[in-house]
Amino acid sequence: MTELQYQGHLHQLQKQLMANYYAALTASAEGSGEPAAYLLIGGNPVELLRAFDILPVFPEVNALQLAVKKQSLPHIQAAEFMGYSSDNCAYVKADIGQYFAGRKTPFATIPEPSLLLCNYVGCNVYLDWFGHLSEYSGCPAFQLDIPFIRSKSGFPSKDDVDYVMRQLQRLIERCEEITGRQLDEDRLRECVRLSSLTGELWSKIKHLTKHTPAPYDAYFDSVTMMAPLYCLRGTPEGLVFFETAYAEMAERVAANRGPLETERFRYVIEGPPPWPHLRTFRDMFSRWNAVAVASTYSTVGGLWEFGFRHDPDHPLESIACHLLEWNLTNRNFLQRYEQIERYLDEWHASALIIHSVKSCRLFSAGQGDMREYFTKLGVPTLLIESDLEDPRYFSEAQMRTRIDAFFESLGHRALVQEASA
Amino acid sequence: MKYFAGVDVGSTQAKCIIVDEQRTISARALVETGANVARAADRCFAAALEAGGIARESIACAVGTGYGRFKVSFGDLQITEITCHAKGASLLFPQTRTVIDMGGQDAKAISVRDGEVVDFVMNDKCAAGTGRFLSTAAETLGLGLEEIGEISLRARNPVRLSTVCTVFVESDIMAYVAQGKKIEDILGGIHSAIAARTIALVRRVGLEPQFTFTGGVSLNVGMVKMMEEKLGQPLNVSADSHYMGAIGAALFASEHALVPAGN
Repeated sequence: MTELQYQGHLHQLQKQLMANYYAALTASAEGSGEPAAYLLIGGNPVELLRAFDILPVFPEVNALQLAVKKQSLPHIQAAEFMGYSSDNCAYVKADIGQYFAGRKTPFATIPEPSLLLCNYVGCNVYLDWFGHLSEYSGCPAFQLDIPFIRSKSGFPSKDDVDYVMRQLQRLIERCEEITGRQLDEDRLRECVRLSSLTGELWSKIKHLTKHTPAPYDAYFDSVTMMAPLYCLRGTPEGLVFFETAYAEMAERVAANRGPLETERFRYVIEGPPPWPHLRTFRDMFSRWNAVAVASTYSTVGGLWEFGFRHDPDHPLESIACHLLEWNLTNRNFLQRYEQIERYLDEWHASALIIHSVKSCRLFSAGQGDMREYFTKLGVPTLLIESDLEDPRYFSEAQMRTRIDAFFESLGHRALVQEASA
Repeated sequence: MKYFAGVDVGSTQAKCIIVDEQRTISARALVETGANVARAADRCFAAALEAGGIARESIACAVGTGYGRFKVSFGDLQITEITCHAKGASLLFPQTRTVIDMGGQDAKAISVRDGEVVDFVMNDKCAAGTGRFLSTAAETLGLGLEEIGEISLRARNPVRLSTVCTVFVESDIMAYVAQGKKIEDILGGIHSAIAARTIALVRRVGLEPQFTFTGGVSLNVGMVKMMEEKLGQPLNVSADSHYMGAIGAALFASEHALVPAGN
């Protein structure tokens, strides 16, 4: 059995729920009247939009879906023909390409934005992305200025939280203008409550991979759960999905079932996956019976497994804290080291794989130092590079050689350790 | 007598080594890989069998390595060239701690303990620092690849290259030729630039002696000297350094075949 054959009920349910979500996007594009807001994954404040019945649209998710379906390259090339640099973020280029191709994708027609909510400032390319979309669509961009975590403590100051909350108030006013109705505070609290329950389940699911064998691959199967986490969080369907996922995973733990027949290596992985070659990439690990037990990428949207919960009693404050503190990309690099160290230790992993992304300097800058840091700690660490969206950056033979050689040497280490024990 | 074969199908050349039960090299063969990788593996295996006067049936186990390792149809196992170079280097030079492998399209630095890989780094999708760079430079100067190392040793005032890009080096070389620079000084500059780049790669796994130089570029005496100068350390180089991946593969083949079933 290969890892790819692991298709549980949650995979089917995800397909069904995401199809419904995309049908809603298409309906919006075709004039159903539901306004759409474009926003970014990092700490996404989706609850506020849901409280206004505004459809969240994630250009990053659309771009990666195009890549998975091997549809990204023509759009990337169209954007390059417009003048976007070959070094520019390929998510941006794929999105701009599809925008000018009529916003029609194999999974949905993407609606024009009624709100362009740039909720992340850590990436200047993203700021320009939404600026360009504003220019192309005529929809004004709404910029949330979210300060980076700058303190050693890793916590935002009270001023930071107040600063973001004041901006959220202005965002509410903008949503009121768009929808023509006032914020229903009970509705917001309900969305936040649903998110809180969803976050609790997602956290429990993430902790289940501490079990040996891990019940699912925390990289390749986590991405299946990440789309509902962003696109459906704050809705009853989103909660049902995570209840189903948790039940299925807990059952697998009880039955000692993993995604592979045998779990030989447990590793932690950093960085987004190469979406255009996801299956090939997954097989490179499966053939070594290697399972990711934790991934930093699955915390880009939020760090629930380390304690974050939305708070229905303080909805705006908890949304502000989510944006500020409780997502991977707004944290500093030392916090990322700490996160990986916790994974290695508490999730019982013996190696770190870093997948660096050529067209995303923001995510990838510093990963060479990260490799040095973990190598010095004695953690076998492999740094590989391709791209998250552009299929041209993936060199299969080179990637396979690096991964094979890494697991060959890990296999040898394990033998030596066994012999000396 | 049982024999064991290692076949290293690289991007440019396919190499085969056959060892006997005492791990002594009994035969070797080398062919150009060309467009048909599987055929290249077959051809170099057949050539090695013929060179050693060894019957096909005497081969107890064969291991494929290199980029074409999955195309070795008669291979019992596939092992990466990284692991095989470490193994081979440690047989010929047991004190090896760092292997520097420069092949046709790859440059690798491998940190080794007791014949096993501790860490490694490779060049990415870029031919700078590989045999391909040197062959492009040789072609541009109208020289054979095998003679440029020797000529580079005569350099007195090596030029400073503005690039180590295999594509742009041609125009760089032509500019120096137009300026009337001596061929040996241009080649000296080329070897110096590539050696510096390779050592930067090696630094990433740690500069720990002894260093063993493997791969086709290890046959280039100019590169050996330049690397030794920049490292301040001698390099272990054998006449069989070019075959190091195949030697390692043959050693793995012998271990695999001699392990009792079930272990």
